[in-house]
Amino acid sequence: MPKPKITGIVHTRDSASTLEAALASLAWVDELMVVDMQSGDDSVAIAQRHGAVVHQVEIAPRIDGVRNRFTSLASGDWVLVLDSDEYLSDDAPELVQSLIADKGGSYDAFALPRYNYLGDQVMVGGGRHPDYQIRLFKKGMVLWPDAHHTLPLVTSGPGRLWEVHSSRGPHIHHRNYRDLRQLITRQLDYALTDLYPSDPASFDFAAYLARAHQQMAMRSDAETDGDLSQAMALVMAWDAVMRGLIHWDTLEPRPPLNMLDGFPRAAAQMPRWEIRLRRFLGRHLALKHLLRAVRARLRALLPKRG
Amino acid sequence: MSPNQLTVIIPSRGMLAILEQCLAALGRSLEAAGLREQSTVAVVDNATAPPLPPKRIAAAGAELLRLDAHHSFSQANNLAARRWPAANYLLLNNDVLLQPETIAEMLGLLERIPQAGICGARMVFPDGTLQHAGVVFGPGKQGPYHLLRAQPSHLMPRVDREFQAVTGACMLIRHELWQELGGLDESYPFGLEDIDFCLRTRQIGRPIFCCQGSESLHFESMTPGRVKLDVGSRELFMSRWQGRYTIDG
Repeated sequence: MPKPKITGIVHTRDSASTLEAALASLAWVDELMVVDMQSGDDSVAIAQRHGAVVHQVEIAPRIDGVRNRFTSLASGDWVLVLDSDEYLSDDAPELVQSLIADKGGSYDAFALPRYNYLGDQVMVGGGRHPDYQIRLFKKGMVLWPDAHHTLPLVTSGPGRLWEVHSSRGPHIHHRNYRDLRQLITRQLDYALTDLYPSDPASFDFAAYLARAHQQMAMRSDAETDGDLSQAMALVMAWDAVMRGLIHWDTLEPRPPLNMLDGFPRAAAQMPRWEIRLRRFLGRHLALKHLLRAVRARLRALLPKRG
Repeated sequence: MSPNQLTVIIPSRGMLAILEQCLAALGRSLEAAGLREQSTVAVVDNATAPPLPPKRIAAAGAELLRLDAHHSFSQANNLAARRWPAANYLLLNNDVLLQPETIAEMLGLLERIPQAGICGARMVFPDGTLQHAGVVFGPGKQGPYHLLRAQPSHLMPRVDREFQAVTGACMLIRHELWQELGGLDESYPFGLEDIDFCLRTRQIGRPIFCCQGSESLHFESMTPGRVKLDVGSRELFMSRWQGRYTIDG
């Protein structure tokens, strides 16, 4: 049987500092595409040096909506998607090819485990590993909704998605942050540029404080990741509080902040079972897909309102 | 390719603390041999979970080849040799701490004896007893073993001598020999691929020596799970080689 053709797609936007590693790790694919969002640095030159076909695309707030357009242009039977700050290991060619040969007949999409680096340390505690990502799939079998933090959809159903075991298969290596300072800078940048609801009546500062509690509980795992995990948890909790304040600052008229009242309410809003459930689902992407499909079926059974 | 150009290959599954000591000692030995600039030190991260920290490996002066799935010792070494070809390869275990003079001595021996294909090194355990001073072969199922292993070091003369085999824990190999034999045999799960390589070397008429001038330190079999894989390797080795090597008197 002929070997299936694989197209590698990398999305870039001023990605020169990390792109070299991403493209070098994809040197073995049959077709290499770079989808560039108007980079002002050397990203395009680097892509061309690696023999990639470069597609220019307008700047969009999210990469997710853009992905679908370009996966459909791939000429490969399988598509492997990387972000520009990710790369694959040196044995990825053989691992990906044997994965497709062994399981490609029964599954349309693979969720690959991902290692997330903060500086030189891989963060694995608090559900940060295997951090499954659907990045290897048969052309046309995965769709990304145009929204933040939503799961891509396997069009043939959750039963056709295979989670690659983290001890056997290829990983995505994700250089998230150079150091803690970069994490802080980026979080603040996201928080300041994000869109917030404009209705003062719906503002509840306690909800942001509750998210801060949640971040502290979910991300702090000192036994596994040491002090860095606590530092990261603090940054993410701080991020939630900052977002609450930024949101409040955009409202006209500003509603009462109710900070003193907010703390006890926030603690009650984030039960431990929910944190445990989120951690568990973070480790089992296929189950998350299955639950989503069940929920969609149940919703379809309910009588429509209005 | 400069005749002294060297690629040092160190497979490692975890063991960062000892690996860093290994790299530091290796750096001193390369420096003493005047080879720091002409050498590539390649650490093969053999599916450590989570991966070895890239910046710390780079800070120790080494390149990193990352494998997500666990590969055999042979595959790990062969992959690195293909990536960084050089006039000579030094296979080195991550739990070997070289003496500063060791690399110069080993390269000196290959220079002195042009027909020699491989040079090994004398190593001791932390208690000073011999870990390796050459590999010899016993009759029947005994097969290959380390001469005077765990015996006081003074029992072994400090004279470089020829052996049928030396350990791959610290083994210097000429590039053309490596090419001719196609690197280490990848059918061995873990262990004895080095002895197989030595016997194949002798079959094409290239002698093997062990340097006895300095005593490097070898902790031996530190990697968890390493010893289990030895069993399959030994069966394969004996089925291939028993009756085809010389029993050392």
